[in-house]
Amino acid sequence: MRAAQAGDQRAYAELLSVLLPFLRSSVRREWRDSEDVEDIVQEILISVHSVRHTYDPGRPVMPWLMTIVSRRITDLARRKGRKNTHEIAVETLPETFRYGGANTEAETREAQNAIGHALNGLPEGQRTAFELMKIRGHSLEEASAITGKSVATLKVTVHRAIKNIQRALLKNG
Amino acid sequence: MTEMQTETLVDLLVKDAKAVRPLAPPGQRVMIWLLPTLVYIAAITVIMGPRPDLLQQLSQPRFAVELGATLITGVLAAMAAFCSECPGRPQWERLVPLPAFAIWLAALGEGCWQSWLRFGIEGLRVEPDFACIPAVIGLSLLPAILLFWMIRKGAPIAPAVTAGLATLAASAIGAFTLRIVHYQDASVMVLLWQFGSVAALTALGAASGRRFLRWPDRVQSRSLT
Repeated sequence: MRAAQAGDQRAYAELLSVLLPFLRSSVRREWRDSEDVEDIVQEILISVHSVRHTYDPGRPVMPWLMTIVSRRITDLARRKGRKNTHEIAVETLPETFRYGGANTEAETREAQNAIGHALNGLPEGQRTAFELMKIRGHSLEEASAITGKSVATLKVTVHRAIKNIQRALLKNG
Repeated sequence: MTEMQTETLVDLLVKDAKAVRPLAPPGQRVMIWLLPTLVYIAAITVIMGPRPDLLQQLSQPRFAVELGATLITGVLAAMAAFCSECPGRPQWERLVPLPAFAIWLAALGEGCWQSWLRFGIEGLRVEPDFACIPAVIGLSLLPAILLFWMIRKGAPIAPAVTAGLATLAASAIGAFTLRIVHYQDASVMVLLWQFGSVAALTALGAASGRRFLRWPDRVQSRSLT
């Protein structure tokens, strides 16, 4: 780690390759949903990389690393929990009519196109805010960090975006 | 869903790994913060003028202990804030300002007790002094800006704790400066309005910690590619 801090890319590559299987097993132990393991491992790698200057060369590396790993696993579990309260994973999209076959493929495509048009018709800022929070599931704080806009501004922007989408959908019947 | 192979990400991180300067030890960082902060306190004292009875008050043990504990709380809270953002450091370091904080509170409590003994319930009369809140905020603003700028360089492993301790450090410095320049000796008033402002600001700082101190987002890290 000391060599990595000094910019020795070979030492850093070696460190990360040793770290990778250890990270995977640590994450798998804590995180049962195996689909997310690689995502979380990647998030942790980015975190370790971004704070590598906080490692004190006079101290052992493992407590430093383990603190970051456990902290990030907790943070990401909290974020996932928050996301899950807003989203439900489904195999097939539910139909809007009781009778089978009422929603034809063409109608579904039409609805998707209408939403796509409504989204495209939004001003740039509103579209970005809507996509970040309502499609990708970022929190207000995360969206604020990404866009550089304040939380209050984003709240108003998303609200306006929703209103504009509703208006556009109603207008197009 | 994972958009990139982890091994590819490792390669990108390695390519991006330029030399970094390790963060200075917390003690050294406190000195870097404290030096301009002390100059700031001195400048405020010169500009606003010290309270006329400052020397006389400093000869009173209770006032001297209270003032000393306020300053030490600020310095040790800054030290604890710096320690709290270094992964792998022992957690007890975060409690380092606690004894000084308790002595500060005890000195104010003792003042209230003396007032009660001398004047009875009259000695504990509380009057509105809302000006204390903006005064503490104003006097702690520059040390707070410097401290928050410094703590953003650490790892946000405990953002609420780090931000709370940093706010405690800066607002204790504000309260210390206010005690030097502002004539207010009723302990109950100092307890409620000055110490109370520090406590409220610390709670606010801790609550907003997650907003100020964040890990880099995956989207921001796309610049790696």
